Amino acid sequence: MIEALSDKRLLIVTGKGGVGKTTVAAALALDSARRGLRTLVCEVNTRERIAPLLGRPEAGAEVTSVEENLWAVNVRPEPAMREYALMVLKFESIYSAVFENRVVRYFLRFIPSLQELVLLGKILYHLKEKRSDGSFRFDRVIIDAPATGHAITFFSVPQVILDTVPPGAMATDAAWMRDFLVDRAMTAVVLVSLPEELPVNETLELHRQLSERVHVTSAAVVLNGFIPRRFDDAERASELSPGLQDVVRAHELRAALSVSCQKTLSTLGLPLVPVPRIFTDEFGRGALEQVASHLTGAARP
Amino acid sequence: MNDADVLVTVGSGGVGKTTVAATLALRAAMEGQGSMVCTIDPARRLANALGLEALGNKEAKIPDEAFAKAGLLPRATMHAMMLDMKRSWDELVERRAPPDKREKILSNRFYQALSTALAGSQEYIAMEKMWELHEQGRYPLLVVDTPPTAHALDFLDAPNRILDFLDNDAAKWLLAPALAAGKFGLKLFNLGGSYVAKTISRFTGTETLQQLADFMLNITSLTESFRERAHQVRGLLQSPSTAFVLVTAPMPERLDEAVYFHTLLQQNKMRVAAVVVNRVHAPVPDALWGEVARLSGPLQAKLEQTLKENDRLAEQDARGIQRLRELCAPTPLVLVPRFELDVHDLKAVWETSRYLWGDATVEGVGPVR
Repeated sequence: MIEALSDKRLLIVTGKGGVGKTTVAAALALDSARRGLRTLVCEVNTRERIAPLLGRPEAGAEVTSVEENLWAVNVRPEPAMREYALMVLKFESIYSAVFENRVVRYFLRFIPSLQELVLLGKILYHLKEKRSDGSFRFDRVIIDAPATGHAITFFSVPQVILDTVPPGAMATDAAWMRDFLVDRAMTAVVLVSLPEELPVNETLELHRQLSERVHVTSAAVVLNGFIPRRFDDAERASELSPGLQDVVRAHELRAALSVSCQKTLSTLGLPLVPVPRIFTDEFGRGALEQVASHLTGAARP
Repeated sequence: MNDADVLVTVGSGGVGKTTVAATLALRAAMEGQGSMVCTIDPARRLANALGLEALGNKEAKIPDEAFAKAGLLPRATMHAMMLDMKRSWDELVERRAPPDKREKILSNRFYQALSTALAGSQEYIAMEKMWELHEQGRYPLLVVDTPPTAHALDFLDAPNRILDFLDNDAAKWLLAPALAAGKFGLKLFNLGGSYVAKTISRFTGTETLQQLADFMLNITSLTESFRERAHQVRGLLQSPSTAFVLVTAPMPERLDEAVYFHTLLQQNKMRVAAVVVNRVHAPVPDALWGEVARLSGPLQAKLEQTLKENDRLAEQDARGIQRLRELCAPTPLVLVPRFELDVHDLKAVWETSRYLWGDATVEGVGPVR
């Protein structure tokens, strides 16, 4: 695993939509589990993809074992709200009496960011959970975080709550969450990018916003879909039909873009792992294993 | 798309939606229909491509030099703007709220949440702007680029969510005593240190509820105009002169979202003019395979691998497009090829439009219309 991530309890994988966040989160989870860490990988209120990528049925809103040392969950707002309420209230009967009241439902819906708070709260709660022998239920939690704009909002939630809501159970939880997120010894953000101009710029921007607005530090960058150079100078100069010359030129253009994006991203001063583009018919377990081997350094692009 | 006076581009993030919006507006201007493109994305690149320093909350005309540089001679003007969420909300309150309520609303913490964080508020303000620009009637074609919605429902449901927030039976019931008393500051939970109230405040503290009550009381003055507007916006979205352009990319997860979005639009009686599939890989022409076969050595192997990779991408795209075509029928599908470089100037925007209007097609991916 990338050195900077190896001792963290919480990994947050984020980036622009469509850059392969989910793949990277799943690959990191796979690697983590294989290293013997009890790992929980969370998707946030989305069409679930991680368990299916691993060749398993969808996990749903309950933490579900997918293979040795690896659990998955798709965190949903309603069940999370219920769990959260039950934790505070302790009694199911009170929950039903109060939370099924439509007035209460109305208020809860519009308390700023409560939904995000319970989603994030549930995920972070799993970091506190203990087993009967006193050890943590999960050594590591990996979040497949919402895309850029939403990620900033999502991870700002504890602070928003602290700014909005006076002291109480919610504020106490929010403070704990915020402290965990900004703790560099515990939490690391993995930025995922693609070798194209817009995603790269957005990655730089995301890095800046995460550190300025949420005060969480990015620990590594994964440059997904990297196209390595293929044709050497002699080959590019050799006599080919115009059609094939175009093929060579197009490939080298994309490869050059990959390199220049890598260079731009390296200005962040973070460990940067290029993962070559994988050409496969169905992106499934096999492709995922390839990504994992690049992330762990077992394969070199 | 040609007979619409409002075009709304929808789709998930990272599929080139904003570029397509700019393309639609440019094409109209070129053909003599004055146009305006309103985007949400802080797309500095788009601004630069349009020859502007940056896009602001005010409408800006695309300068003649920018067209000249791209070798284009539009027959009508083209404008662009970028919606600043917070400012647009503030303007809305300033315009509509009674003078004595404005400050109270603007400084309330719940207003801050409403205008920035509440699900659907971004979408709502985009629609509000669309309505305003449409009413002004200054632009024969209005292209509205919507926020990249994680969930298609956020978009269509936005006016309802805002209304729900402002005008809820439950809230009225809670607020009734205060409203009847006709003044603020009345303790909301005069309702009794009731069981319900006590339980909620265990989560939030009583102050939060008090603030929410104050906000509700102040914003009530706006509810009627919000309701009217939501109704009007819906009417405009369903009008025969409004059309949606659904933008997607050919990756499987994007296509699923597109199909879902398409279904929702149709259920809501909204007209989808076209599904634009952006960044399509065309298959390798047979002639190239023949040429590679005549080579030898490592260069041949490398070229063969490159062509194979290209074909693999093209096959994946073709499969996805076929599925999309079946599931979205009879809405026409428009394929735009993947360009080697991102669309970054007016010329490239123009090039994209040639695919949208069928002047150019992606070869080998089957019939397009």
